[in-house]
Amino acid sequence: MSWRGLLAVALANVGADRRGALVDTAAAAVGAAALALFLGLGLGVGDAARRMFPADDRLVEVVPSQVSLGGLLGGGRLDEAALRRLAALPGAAAAWPRQTLLVPVAAPEPPRGFERAWPPGMTLQLPVVGVDPGLVAGDTAGGVPFADPPDGGAIPVVLSRRLLEVFDKTIAPAWGVPGLPPGFDPVGLELPVRVGLSIVPGRSEARTTEVRVKLAGLSDRVPLYAMAMPLATVRRLHQAYGRADPGFAQVTLLADRPDDAPVLAAAARRMGFGVDQSERSAAERVGTVVAITTGALAALALLMTALAALAIARSRAASVAARVREIALLQALGATPGDVRTVVLLEAALLGTAGGAAGVALGRLAALAADLAWKRALPDFPYRPDTFFAQPPWLLAAAFGVVVLASVLGALGPAAAASRVDPARTLS
Amino acid sequence: MISLRGVTRSFRDGGREVPVLRGVDLEVVPGELTAVVGASGSGKSTLLYVAGGLDAGFGGEVTVAGERLRGLSPRALATLRNRKIGFVFQSFNLVTGLDALENVLLPGLLRGERRTLDEQGREALARVGLAGKERARPPRLSGGERQRVAIARALLFRPAVLLADEPTGNLDAESGALVISLFEELARGGAAVLVVTHEERVSRAAGRILALRDGRLS
Repeated sequence: MSWRGLLAVALANVGADRRGALVDTAAAAVGAAALALFLGLGLGVGDAARRMFPADDRLVEVVPSQVSLGGLLGGGRLDEAALRRLAALPGAAAAWPRQTLLVPVAAPEPPRGFERAWPPGMTLQLPVVGVDPGLVAGDTAGGVPFADPPDGGAIPVVLSRRLLEVFDKTIAPAWGVPGLPPGFDPVGLELPVRVGLSIVPGRSEARTTEVRVKLAGLSDRVPLYAMAMPLATVRRLHQAYGRADPGFAQVTLLADRPDDAPVLAAAARRMGFGVDQSERSAAERVGTVVAITTGALAALALLMTALAALAIARSRAASVAARVREIALLQALGATPGDVRTVVLLEAALLGTAGGAAGVALGRLAALAADLAWKRALPDFPYRPDTFFAQPPWLLAAAFGVVVLASVLGALGPAAAASRVDPARTLS
Repeated sequence: MISLRGVTRSFRDGGREVPVLRGVDLEVVPGELTAVVGASGSGKSTLLYVAGGLDAGFGGEVTVAGERLRGLSPRALATLRNRKIGFVFQSFNLVTGLDALENVLLPGLLRGERRTLDEQGREALARVGLAGKERARPPRLSGGERQRVAIARALLFRPAVLLADEPTGNLDAESGALVISLFEELARGGAAVLVVTHEERVSRAAGRILALRDGRLS
């Protein structure tokens, strides 16, 4: 029998039992819709969580130990010597130190053009941390060099990428000022600040200096609460205000490979330092929750697909039992047992294809409807995603393919039964 | 041509081997209409299905349309049934989901030749007096009409061999007569026609009548 002939017979059989075909198609559609919807939800929530808690699995944050015997064991203080030892650890690609600026910095007025977004009379205290330019090299390619400027030049700074979202969704509503315009790129923005000025009474320096800071970029590698300046600038300001070098508050190690990160962390601990895992732990916890949620949703979707396949299998088995004379007739007219088997599998594939296509469309529509409902029901919050579903074409294609495959697999038993029909006994 | 030499066939019944055909010799030449009569359960249908290549568990030698059936692959047997042999059954055996024309074209459909055979199928239906019934589904046809559709299907490729199993068993006198005349016409056209029946009206039309008793033809 030719493939065209087999397909024609399968189509005729499916068309002859429209009610059964409709039920099977609906079962396959439910399976495909569940896969597209639930896997899309898992991926979407994962994407949203990763935007909220960005984590680089090659970074290890080394901090001075909370409890240390200091120089006796060579640990405790993070200084240049410690930095060199950390940088020399096997598996370390780079070591970037950070130093907290001990001189207060405050902004008494807004950036030019942002007066409406600045509450009248407010002076904003700005925690500052000095960072090695290498730490933010990938985030400062916007034309503003991240290096200690010559006298009188604007100091380049880098802010946390998350700060913009937090300002827009939390700070601006609390202050009662407008949020940032859509698509706003703040790189290059200048802010006049006073070095030495503190909003805490009695904490200002005797001498304050007016300087400008210029935004060189946004990065996930700087703290949410602080403004990052070049390490050389912070050291210069410490010298200018007569402060002793406080050492490093933190050293960020970049591992050659993600697998090296735990080894580096263990080595740093053996050297007497602590390892700050708060960001990584949060990201890991979120990742675990997302993985479990996605896994549970995937299991649910696969269960529904398996049930759909079971329904199709039962339906095909019943259909084969009811058509046993027709199957024997096909053999009498020139079909082999293999042809008969193929016809039953083609029937299942046709039903799976129709159901899979309908289900994928249904899953996409359900996702759009759910997004619409959530947009209306949920308040605005930082990093609230535009969609809770990620349904890339490969996912929809996979949902479709899995359902077609499940339909065909479910029909293997009935197809084998059909191929075992003895035409001589059945027709006589 | 149909040729059976020393054909045996037995079935197991509760661990006991029950012989049905005990060394059957039979030859049906082109242009001949041969009837095999016998009591119910005498093995007439078994003889027919062995000759049609639907029952491969026989002993002896069977040659149909120049092909020795023993040793043929399932694919080759299926091709032989499709191209050289026409079957007509007592219970019509039409596919309920297909209309009359599609049922007639089913052997062609299996070959993937559906489109090129439409006119041939209509002609076959006209030959059996069913012009205008092309789109009727089997449940809307009478018993006689269904059997004529089945005969039209068997005639579609003008087979060298026609095998009929109690073809008039479910038909009234008028429909039965029409079916018999169609078989006669086919035999006159050069086909080897073998009909198994227990009805006298069929055997009367045959050029040769053989009786199957105790697994042997006489």
